Amino acid sequence: MAKVFIDDIEYEVPDGKNMLEVCLSLGFDLTYFCWHPALHSIGACRQCGVINYKDENDKRGRITMACMLPASNGTRISIEAKAAHDFRAGNIESLMLNHPHDCPVCDEGGECHLQDMTLMSGHNYRRYRFKKRTHTNQYLGPFLNHEMNRCIQCYRCVRFYKDYAGGKDLDVFAAHDDIYFGRSEDGVLENEFSGNLVEVCPTGVFTDKTLKQHYTRKWDLTSAPSVCHGCSLGCNILASQRYGTIRRILTRYNGDVNGYFLCDRGRFGYEYTNSKKRIIKALKRVSGTYQPIENGNAFEEVKALMGEGKKVIGIGSPRASLESNFLLKELVGENNFYGGISNTEGNLIKQVIDILKKGKVKTPSLAEAKGYDAVFIVGEDVTNTAPMLALSLRQAAKNKPNEEAFAIRIPLWNDVAIREIVQERTGPFFIATVHHTKLDEISSGSFYGHPDNIARLGHAVAQKINNNLPSVPDADRESASLSSSIAEALLAAKKPLIVSGTSLFSKNVIEAAANVAYALKEQGKDVGLIYTVPEANSVGMTLLSENFVDDAIARVEKERADVLLILENDLYQRIGKKDSEAILKRCNQVVAFENLENETTNSCDYLFPAGTFAESTGTIVNNEGRAQRFYQVHIPRNEVRSSWKWLDILRQDLQTAEAKDFDAIVDELIQKNPELQKIKETAPTADFRIGTQKIPRSPHRFSGRTSMIANINVSEPKPPVDNDSPMSFTMEGYHGIQPSPDTAFYWSPAWNSVQAINKYQIEVGGPLHDGNPGKRLFEPDENRQAKYFNDIPSSFHPSNDELLVLPLYHIYGSEELTALSHAVKERIPQAYIALNENEARRKGLNAEGGKVEFYYQDKKWELSLKIDNSLPDGIAGLPKGLNETSGIGYPFRTKINS
Amino acid sequence: MQLTQRAKHVDRHPMTWIERLYFWNILKGMLITLRHLFKRKATINFPEQKRSFSSVFRGLHVLNRDEEGRERCTACGLCAVACPAEAITMEAAERLPGEEQLYREEKYAAKYEINMLRCIFCGLCEEACPKDAIYLSQTFAPSNYSRKGFIYKKDDMLIPNPLTEPETYKKALGERPAKMIGNQ
Repeated sequence: MAKVFIDDIEYEVPDGKNMLEVCLSLGFDLTYFCWHPALHSIGACRQCGVINYKDENDKRGRITMACMLPASNGTRISIEAKAAHDFRAGNIESLMLNHPHDCPVCDEGGECHLQDMTLMSGHNYRRYRFKKRTHTNQYLGPFLNHEMNRCIQCYRCVRFYKDYAGGKDLDVFAAHDDIYFGRSEDGVLENEFSGNLVEVCPTGVFTDKTLKQHYTRKWDLTSAPSVCHGCSLGCNILASQRYGTIRRILTRYNGDVNGYFLCDRGRFGYEYTNSKKRIIKALKRVSGTYQPIENGNAFEEVKALMGEGKKVIGIGSPRASLESNFLLKELVGENNFYGGISNTEGNLIKQVIDILKKGKVKTPSLAEAKGYDAVFIVGEDVTNTAPMLALSLRQAAKNKPNEEAFAIRIPLWNDVAIREIVQERTGPFFIATVHHTKLDEISSGSFYGHPDNIARLGHAVAQKINNNLPSVPDADRESASLSSSIAEALLAAKKPLIVSGTSLFSKNVIEAAANVAYALKEQGKDVGLIYTVPEANSVGMTLLSENFVDDAIARVEKERADVLLILENDLYQRIGKKDSEAILKRCNQVVAFENLENETTNSCDYLFPAGTFAESTGTIVNNEGRAQRFYQVHIPRNEVRSSWKWLDILRQDLQTAEAKDFDAIVDELIQKNPELQKIKETAPTADFRIGTQKIPRSPHRFSGRTSMIANINVSEPKPPVDNDSPMSFTMEGYHGIQPSPDTAFYWSPAWNSVQAINKYQIEVGGPLHDGNPGKRLFEPDENRQAKYFNDIPSSFHPSNDELLVLPLYHIYGSEELTALSHAVKERIPQAYIALNENEARRKGLNAEGGKVEFYYQDKKWELSLKIDNSLPDGIAGLPKGLNETSGIGYPFRTKINS
Repeated sequence: MQLTQRAKHVDRHPMTWIERLYFWNILKGMLITLRHLFKRKATINFPEQKRSFSSVFRGLHVLNRDEEGRERCTACGLCAVACPAEAITMEAAERLPGEEQLYREEKYAAKYEINMLRCIFCGLCEEACPKDAIYLSQTFAPSNYSRKGFIYKKDDMLIPNPLTEPETYKKALGERPAKMIGNQ
């Protein structure tokens, strides 16, 4: 602890901080632009000027930037001194010289850090009367809008984009008062994290283009704390709506998970919730077409179908909440419930869960992953399957070189100095994947091979760490030397991190990764092991499932089923056409609970409109085993509601049916599944109040309450009540620091921008006031003997006539729902089949873009050829989950023709 | 004890029989009535005749245009947030290329509604507007057959285009001096 004096009052502050962090953590309102808790200090904007005094006798002091001043023992500063005040106001006046007066048309207006800071500094009137410098704006793709005139040259954008996220195509140009932040020419911003510029930029240079389509001011949005359903990481988001449609997604700070950032799939992939293809009414198929049906009648008819002695089976979903999956299981009975994924995928996830539960290696969270100093990725294209993990790993790669800076006592926050020493160097970072991935640019060694060969490399590394393990038979020299250098680097590291996942559908890869981690653990290393899984609630659903879809198919083939209940699951997408038809044909009646029309809903008898994350409340479990609660943003003006609400009524006696609230369902869930006990603690129960007040979803400035729906209903009905959470749908409630899982927006007096989050943290950049939300369900057991997997696969030999086809992932397109959003749609690649040049030539294919035919499940597929020379011989890659390639089960073998 | 000098003594003596005839009092009343016959009339023949208002009178809202006939409103939302009755709601849209003669700035209100049943005519919206796009006119006393009719849409409030309909525009402007409504 250090003692510092701020305006002559003594404070005890933690060591290793700078004065700006300290002042903000203590609650002082000090203006700043270029500093960001995740990007640290560079002292560029000169906005946090304070007076620094030598000692108590120094009455004059000198102006110093608080962000560059270490908070060491005895530091004396004044924020309030007139000279400091005038300095800050003068500085902002010069920053504002060229800033346009366009707040009324600016998307940032009302949540602008520049507005906040200008008021805070005391600069009120513009004295500058001359022409302002103007810039041309660029087209930056479907996600971001560019308005360079508003720039105040804080450099945050390039520091985030280039230094933090590893982007290449945003830079700063020109000099003096004519600085330009943008691309070298118009074009799409390539980086997967470009959307964060919306929040990183202190003013309106980079704004959300999807929000522009249906613009709403921050104060008019009704938001709910939610969890991203785009991949398995479970990043925390704030989803906001007005007039019944979702308007935008912002990062919800969670110091344990995503911190300040989100990936572009999560941020811009929400528009499917507003799609015209949404199912908004209960429907019944009458002679081939869907007709709306009264809810009550629908219940009664479905109930009648499921009567005594009827054979009913249910298929769950990895994108539906734990509660929905649980109620389906309750409704159909334990033995008739099947997890909505293929058996291959199900067993892989089961194995991952097994390792999470029984292994003795810690699975770090996304935030903890940033703290590791050597990384070994085993068979996972992280940038595309779990984008935010790639962002964490990029930070982990900086740790080793940073140590050099720490050795000469440069603190972490001094970003300029660290960058000066480290330059572009990165720490030990090894990748073994099927083809070239984006993280290869920071890797110290990459290996491309068949999943079995990746697993062999993993086993070889494990063997070199622990000599007692069986050695890999017939290892070639190249991978032997690579495995030695990987083992050496991992052993030299303090905290090695192993990353793997289910994306290659290979059990061997998962086992090899675990072996490396176990071997390192035995060497006394503080090792981390992260697995990614396919979908948002893959882990949660698998925890509730004994059997999967292939078992269901086997069963209906043996004996027809009367009723099939499908929960939020497009079978055609997940298990393919052949298997879907096999199961749908063998069931007399099909009832689906679904968000959007898709191929599966085309062949159902009853459809119930299920809510997406925007209209449902629930709990999902991420890849790390962290259970997190998401809340519904609004009650839509149609019949859409959480699937568990439909299922709950269906299982009750319809005459006396009473809608159960969320907490009752959770209680029932944990009573039947004691291992999920902790999901109850993920968020306060619905009867939680602060004083007597609920927690509002809208800020206190919310406008238009008496006119918003006046065109529909003049008599102003009572606002909807949320019985499932302690939150209200209006602005009524407690406006202060709310419980962290239930914070719907960040606002604090004088802090209207997203940076109001400072006030919600115990210490700026640290955990939230009552802890970061989410509860981990599994913790590693240190005392357990690691049981190695000794099944070493033999090396893959390409066959002459057949190719092995593996999935290649794309951040935009490989996830089924986000791919339906307009902005994301523009970024989805053309479907292709990738081969290396050798292999293409051998098959008589030369030109990239040429047509290639192949057969899968007796059906002919035709795609254009893409040459990817990093792919090993004998392997072809197909983009996973695109429209043209949906429903393919990987891996499979096929012959290809030109 | 007397607190002030202004207390009036009330005469409470029983009335005499002459007084009880009320002759004088009736005559006094009649005289007052008679006097009004020769005075100026207090009423006017509304709606044929209209009174002139103070220049700061606050009547129904008008959404203003600039001198080139372009809508001034950018749908920034400040009127809505200032409104104590929460009676204003709007939806913004981006101006497309080719619409420059319709909208003054790059955003405009695609939908703009005021619930006149809720409006208290306080004028805070006019005060909050950074674009001089809304002002309270001298039109008042709207009438309608249903409550729904009091939900004023953008079309109900938008001032006629000064270029194409100068006459109606002038009429809609009312008697306010032009500088008060931003058309300097």
